[in-house]
Amino acid sequence: MIVAKNIKRCYGTGETAVKALKGVSFKIDKGEFVAIMGASGSGKTTLLRILALLDDATDGEYTIRGLEVSSLPEAERSYYRLTQVGYVFQDYALINEMSAAENVYVLSMMEGKSKKESYKTALEALDKVGLKGKHDRVPDELSGGEKQRVAIARAIAKKPDIMFADEPCANLDTNNSKQVLDVFKELNEKYGQTIVMVTHEPWHVEYVNRVITLEDGNIISDDRKLKEKGSTELSSQNSNH
Amino acid sequence: MINDIRVGALIAYSSVKRGNKKTLVFIVFVLSLIFLNLVFLPSMIGGLSGLFTGFMQDYPYGDIVIEPMGDNSYINNADNVLKKVRAVEGVRAATKRLDVGASINHKQKVVGVTITGMLPIEEYDISRYPHIITEGDFLTDLSRDEIIIGAMIAGTGFGSEIYDNLGQVRPGALVEVTYSNGVKRTYKVKGIMEGTFEVVDLNALVHYKEIEDVYGLQGREATTVVVRVDKQGTEAHIQEKIRDAGVNEPIYTWADKSESLIRQAMQSMGAIDIMSKIVSLIVGAALVLIIIYINVLNRKKEIGILKAVGITPRSIVLSYAFLSTFYVSLGIFAGLILYFSLMFYFQANPVTFYETMEISPVIDPVLLIQSIVTMLTLSVIAGILPAWSVSRESILKAIWGR
Repeated sequence: MIVAKNIKRCYGTGETAVKALKGVSFKIDKGEFVAIMGASGSGKTTLLRILALLDDATDGEYTIRGLEVSSLPEAERSYYRLTQVGYVFQDYALINEMSAAENVYVLSMMEGKSKKESYKTALEALDKVGLKGKHDRVPDELSGGEKQRVAIARAIAKKPDIMFADEPCANLDTNNSKQVLDVFKELNEKYGQTIVMVTHEPWHVEYVNRVITLEDGNIISDDRKLKEKGSTELSSQNSNH
Repeated sequence: MINDIRVGALIAYSSVKRGNKKTLVFIVFVLSLIFLNLVFLPSMIGGLSGLFTGFMQDYPYGDIVIEPMGDNSYINNADNVLKKVRAVEGVRAATKRLDVGASINHKQKVVGVTITGMLPIEEYDISRYPHIITEGDFLTDLSRDEIIIGAMIAGTGFGSEIYDNLGQVRPGALVEVTYSNGVKRTYKVKGIMEGTFEVVDLNALVHYKEIEDVYGLQGREATTVVVRVDKQGTEAHIQEKIRDAGVNEPIYTWADKSESLIRQAMQSMGAIDIMSKIVSLIVGAALVLIIIYINVLNRKKEIGILKAVGITPRSIVLSYAFLSTFYVSLGIFAGLILYFSLMFYFQANPVTFYETMEISPVIDPVLLIQSIVTMLTLSVIAGILPAWSVSRESILKAIWGR
């Protein structure tokens, strides 16, 4: 589904240039729930932003379902973000002046659906993430966990091919984090949603079925059989790096 | 494009519905003042201009004035002209006048004036001269050897000290008039007139027959034939009809005369008006841009988020165009309320200049429409420019500032 070949990202030029990604390659299949892990500054968020078409790679190729997306013009990237890609931000990134439902259905309207249809889709998505009855609330009236679930609802309402999540639990306590991860897990297991999540919490690997670990802009491990191995072993593996 | 408009409208609607109301009120208040700034001074200047043109109609020119042809000093067949004019449908009244230069002497004080010879009874239908007598009485048909003197030259009116005057001349006093042809006459002052208008208050009036005698005229001459029409606004049409009736002398409407005569007096005022409009527009444009730009900058992250989730830049730009148009529309509405409140106040309580000249502002619909269109155009530009600029930034820069 996703094929990344030799992705490089360099910030700045000359002596001050920072190589955030030094040429990473991998393939993600449909229905996988992948965690990208690594220490701070390892390049995991940079990689996620490039995969979600929020940033450009300096070099390398990147295809989604066989389409070379890295070289698409901005208008098509925008359409791709709208229709094929869901993105969950670390800090929720909701529009504060829009209700939970509006935050979700604005995207359906952008796709050309009627307001009524968009609203219905939004309510279904909000129900799916456990926010039934809270669709009229604005972000300020929701807890951190609820805000993140609105963000997830926004990402899944358009039924994207892939959902990306950038440290979605970074601002949440353990209880809220578990709720959010449960939502991801359900989406993945029940609906076959492909999810790529950046995280630095070792215990999150319990929820995923693959972990790609980065260090200094390089992939240092790609473990696909987590469930069989168990998270403890992986946590130990991560700490060794 | 329809999707862009729908989404733009939704974003703008949410922003207005749930945005900070205090900020909204502040923005609308500032915008209303900007609008007021655009329309208030021109309205006052319009009032001043209207005051002057009103004076011109009420005293020297009426609604239409007929003047001598070419280099002639007089309209030689004034009675014939009057006859033709009075026969024209839509003409309410007409009269002839003789304006001559003279000096008035009283107790060794001498003042140069224009003396108008008029038919007093006819003036009641033509001008306001009979109604501005502050001391004594107006002329009658039998008035001979009598004169009405303007308050400024009499030395009794406001502003007399600016000009040479006769030193507190009162009705009953005798003055000696030396006409431009050297003929001297002694007149009894019958009344003092005060029109709070220099053209009137620096003038003097005698009976038409007096001028006729002094200058040895035949009873048919006039320097002007002054015409009043039944209905204001029909002057140009009546002017044509008078011409069609066979009057060959130059015929002017009060607007023609005002344009040429008041132009000089109003030139400096007009310059102030134009400068004020330009400055108001620049200040207004700058303020609208600043307000909306700050608003957009405060929402830079929001713009980045919207782009990141797939909202098109066009929708985002449209949402800000809608938003700023909404702000400016409310500002215009509030500005109109303020404007009309001030207009009604100043119309009821005119601004007084030189103690006697009362200026009421004039509500000019064309000016209002121009200002509204200007403000709305500015609002669209002010909304689109900064939003367009921010929406072109990379998503990462808009959201995270890098």
